[in-house]
Amino acid sequence: MAEQTYYEDVKEGQELPEIKIAPDKQQLVKFAAGSGDFNPLHFDEKFPMLKAMGIPDNITHGRFKYAQVGRAVFAFAGYKGRVKRFGVSYRGMDFINQTITVKGVVTAKRQEGGENIVELDVWTENDEGKKTTPGTAVVALPSRG
Amino acid sequence: MAEVFEITDEVKAQFGVETAPWVYEVTTTSVRMYARGIGSTDPIHYDVDFAKSQGFRSIVAPLGYVGTPAFSPETNDATFGFPRRQGGARLNLPMKGLLDGGTETEYFDYICAGDTLVETSHLADVKVKGNMVFVTNESVFKNQATGQVVAKQRLTSIHLG
Repeated sequence: MAEQTYYEDVKEGQELPEIKIAPDKQQLVKFAAGSGDFNPLHFDEKFPMLKAMGIPDNITHGRFKYAQVGRAVFAFAGYKGRVKRFGVSYRGMDFINQTITVKGVVTAKRQEGGENIVELDVWTENDEGKKTTPGTAVVALPSRG
Repeated sequence: MAEVFEITDEVKAQFGVETAPWVYEVTTTSVRMYARGIGSTDPIHYDVDFAKSQGFRSIVAPLGYVGTPAFSPETNDATFGFPRRQGGARLNLPMKGLLDGGTETEYFDYICAGDTLVETSHLADVKVKGNMVFVTNESVFKNQATGQVVAKQRLTSIHLG
C-alpha cells in the first residue's frame, strides 16, 4: 500500500519509486494462469519455436511488463487518484530470471476541466539500461485543499 | 518491390467493423489470480473489506487486467485464451512471425470484482513498414449494468512478412 500522492507535492522531473522484479518460471506460470496466456514461449525452455526463432531463453510476456508498469502508475496515483490512460510499446525482449526495473518520471502537470492532471514517462529497463518497454501515462491526483 | 501487405479499399472497408460482443465476468478469484501473477502484494487487489474501506465497490483489478478473457473451451483459443468471435475484420495478413507491438488503455472508471463487462472490438489502424504490418485493434469495454464505457484498449500486433 503506497502513500497517497497529492497534486501540490508533485514536481516536473520527479521520479517514481522503482519496482524491480526478476520473474522466474513459477512467476511466469502464475502470470499465464492469471492472464490466460499459456503460450509455451514464456515458460517451456524446450519449446521448439524458441530455437527456430534463435531466442536463447523463455521470453517474459509483454503483458507482464505492461502490468509491472501499471503497478508503478497505480501506486503513484494512490487509492484517491485515478489513472486515466497508460500505454507502452514492446521494443525489446526480456527473458526469464532477468531483472526488470520499472521507472518513471513526471513530465508535466496542469489543472484541466476541474482535474489535477499529471503526465508521466514510464518504462521498463533491463540490466544493461536499455528501455525495453517505453510508454506514457496520465493520472488525475487529489488535492490537499 | 511489392509491399508485404497492401491496404486496399477492401481492407479500408473493414475499419470500424465491430465484432460480436463478449461478456467478461470480473470475479474476486480472477482479480486475485491476476494480482498474484504480476507479483503484487497490494491488499486493494485481495481484501474485499479493505477495498470497501477505501471507497471501492470490491477488490480493484490491477491496471493490466483489462482484456483478460473469461474462458470457455467451446469459444476460446486453448493456448492464448482469447475469444474466437463472430464478426470483425478479416485480413489476409503475412504470418512468418507475430510480435506484440504495444498496449494502450484509456480508463473511465476502475474495474472491480463483481462487475460484468461487455466488450466489442474493431480494426482501428493498419500500417506497413518494410516487411512489417502493424495492426491495431481497439476494444471498448462497457459495464453491463450501467452501459457506461469503462475502458478502451488498443492492442498493436506486428505481422512479419
